[in-house]
Amino acid sequence: MVTTIRHYFSVAACFARLAVQRQLEYPLFLFSWLLMIPIQYFSGIWMLKIIVDRFQPLNGWDFPELAFLYGLGLLSHGMLVVFFINTWQIDNMVIQGTFDRLLLRPMSVFFQLVASYVNFIGLIDCIPGLIIFLYGCQLVGFEWTLGNIIKLLLVLIGGVLIRASLFISLGTIAFWTKRNASMVGFTLSMLERGTMYPLGIYPYVLQVIFTFIIPIGFISFYPAAEFLGKGSESFQLPLNFALATPAVGLACFMLSQWIFRRGMRSYESAGS
Amino acid sequence: MEAVIEVHDLVKEYTIAKKGSGLRGALKGLLFPEKKTVRGVDGISFSIAPGEIVGYIGPNGAGKSTTIKMLTGILHPTSGSIKVCGISPQADRKSVVRKLGVVFGQRTQLYWDLRLGESFELLRRIYQVDKTSFEENMSILSDVLKLEEFIHTPVRQLSLGQRMRGDIAAAMLHSPSVLFLDEPTIGLDADAKHAIRHFIKEINRKRGVTVILTTHDLDDVEQLCTRLVVVNHGKVVEDGPMASLIRKLAPHRLLVVELQQPFDDLEHPAAEIIKQDGLKVWYQFEKSRISAAQLISELSQKLPIQDLSVKEPDIEDAIREVYKMT
Repeated sequence: MVTTIRHYFSVAACFARLAVQRQLEYPLFLFSWLLMIPIQYFSGIWMLKIIVDRFQPLNGWDFPELAFLYGLGLLSHGMLVVFFINTWQIDNMVIQGTFDRLLLRPMSVFFQLVASYVNFIGLIDCIPGLIIFLYGCQLVGFEWTLGNIIKLLLVLIGGVLIRASLFISLGTIAFWTKRNASMVGFTLSMLERGTMYPLGIYPYVLQVIFTFIIPIGFISFYPAAEFLGKGSESFQLPLNFALATPAVGLACFMLSQWIFRRGMRSYESAGS
Repeated sequence: MEAVIEVHDLVKEYTIAKKGSGLRGALKGLLFPEKKTVRGVDGISFSIAPGEIVGYIGPNGAGKSTTIKMLTGILHPTSGSIKVCGISPQADRKSVVRKLGVVFGQRTQLYWDLRLGESFELLRRIYQVDKTSFEENMSILSDVLKLEEFIHTPVRQLSLGQRMRGDIAAAMLHSPSVLFLDEPTIGLDADAKHAIRHFIKEINRKRGVTVILTTHDLDDVEQLCTRLVVVNHGKVVEDGPMASLIRKLAPHRLLVVELQQPFDDLEHPAAEIIKQDGLKVWYQFEKSRISAAQLISELSQKLPIQDLSVKEPDIEDAIREVYKMT
């Protein structure tokens, strides 16, 4: 057991080092990310501010609360982009045959899939998230107690797991269909919209879906509602939301692993 | 001796959707898909002993790659059993792949953006090869494959021949007992082909590595393989040592005679004239019916012969016969 863990750590460290080296091979590409990503997210928060200023609080959420909500969602998005970006391109790996290679190595296929590309450029995604979240914390007067910090970390981990599970399950579709790139784009925009606004603004059906079927409400909305002491108008779930997120995340993750393993069994590698 | 690879009645079926042509056909296929089951691999059985170099050959689409992918645990067979070193690659993939080296000639497992050596270090960790055996192994591989010339070059700048040598070294770092090579010489120049064939012979002789090779290059087959398994339409059509395969499939020899002057009565009862071009005559005859010496002496008694040569049938003729048969 210990040797297995050491083995996986040693490989993960090597993968990470190679990933950094590969990313540094293309400095201009890195620079363009540095420029585009912050623009994307800061314009997002700016839109929120305009909507709230011009019209009225969204479903009872004022701007500071919305900034907190948006920041929380962005943080888990940033972490996903750093650690799980390879789940977006399972279809490419299937088509180009790189997936075959993972199966030829004596390690967990899922581990290799995820660990083989730690996307350090994705840290840029985290910067706007962090700034917006801290700004939101400042505005709502978030209390940085030990309990809150632990809760926050658990929520972030849970949120990343929920997002990752979605992309893993979607990526598994590529084992059958060979193509799923458009699904990835669609899911990304669904996740962005589902996590930046309070769930209450959506029709009832969507609220049910985002809570029970594709539980993206647990990424930012439910935990933010609890942190901010806002009663959720949609569902009165008998759970402590902040703890529900990591639980939901773990459950989703395990489900996605099961789906992934099922998919691998009917994997039909492409070409010769 | 205990077999390294034991394949029994292997079948792999694919479901493919039959599509009509044009927009109408596409729409029809979408609404009422006509599904068809195709057997890519249709009941293949063979067993391979340690230390063999086996050529696994057949025309495109014969099921070669699919078989290799099942043997290496990438694909699950529809039915049939596979044992590699006594273990089923589908039941215990990790244990099996530890003992395998696999090279796909058309794809690389090396990191495109990085120096060749970096990929080796990653593989060293993946296969848990300790530093001393790694260094030892590296120096042996370097010797035969001449890696030191380009081990610090980014893979994207390597020539195809260098890249292939790098890929083969990468597959051998963990000292596998079985090496699968899927078209290892595709697109290479004569020098690179020679280097790779030499390497395959070396590891087979020195380390007793069992090699399974798919290729369309019959020189590979001729120079390397002790045994051929020929497949077509998903079935094994021939399996045996190369010499006997040629004897069986291409029993004809060719005698080419060049005459001093035109001559009328060229016929010989035991040989067939298959071509005539000016003063040159091609006789085809069967080894079992008449020896070359006898035919030559009989012909030279009546014909004014200037020059002659005997051509043995080669592997190419044999293979062409097999493909034609099925």
